[in-house]
Amino acid sequence: MPRAATTSDVFNAIAEPQRRQILVLLRAGERPVTELAEELGLTQPGASKHLRVLREVGLVRDRKAGKQRLYGLDARGLRPVHEWTGGFERFWNESFDRLDAYVQNLKKAKQQE
Amino acid sequence: MASTRRDASATADREIVISRVINAPRELVFEAFTEVRHLSQWWGPQGFTTTTRAFEFRVGGEWVFVMHGPDGTDFQEWISWTEIVPPERIALLHGESRGDPNAFESVLTFVVEGAATRIEMHTVFPTKEMRDEVVEKYHAIEGGQQTLRKLADYVTEIVLKGVEH
Repeated sequence: MPRAATTSDVFNAIAEPQRRQILVLLRAGERPVTELAEELGLTQPGASKHLRVLREVGLVRDRKAGKQRLYGLDARGLRPVHEWTGGFERFWNESFDRLDAYVQNLKKAKQQE
Repeated sequence: MASTRRDASATADREIVISRVINAPRELVFEAFTEVRHLSQWWGPQGFTTTTRAFEFRVGGEWVFVMHGPDGTDFQEWISWTEIVPPERIALLHGESRGDPNAFESVLTFVVEGAATRIEMHTVFPTKEMRDEVVEKYHAIEGGQQTLRKLADYVTEIVLKGVEH
């Protein structure tokens, strides 16, 4: 299976520790890139690059406020992570865990017959 | 181990593929899908139980049951088989009751892998919206009232855990 490009895959986007730190900072509210860069000890181009990746996977949105641009958290972008850790797939993965255990017992019971 | 993948096909945004290898012969794994005394032992996540009202394993037959969540919530469930090819394939419709307009079809394929069996469950929803609805519904089943509104908190927790590492 080909790997998804970093810019299109939310899992890759949040695999980067500095990008996760940006998301944590944005929890508290919108911030301009200068503040994010300063707080994380990044250069501004470095922070901008991370923000661009986060924006492209839908985790961060931006808007103009006067002269500056503010970045905010958009949790809807985390939907694939949410789905992966829960929902339909978790339901079935847990069912298959139980199926596995059950079938092992069934196997033992048949061998004893 | 559990593994999940999505095909990069035209239906990718409205399908879910779940795959699992079970260390047992295919006939035995298949059998666990054919009788209610088996199904009731493993259907649903940890802590869930089922009460069956009707069960007839044949094409066009139905399994009507209530799924009981660990928090006491009941869910009406309805399954009808659309294809049965022992021990290779089972296709079924899954909804809340007969005639449920939101019922969706899953195809289970059982493939021999040496002494083990790979189960592949392929579910294609008519629309992306319906896929999203079902995912949400299952979130609700597992997490009580956990919905997208709580998504931000939920995922921030994951993000925070990641940062602490």
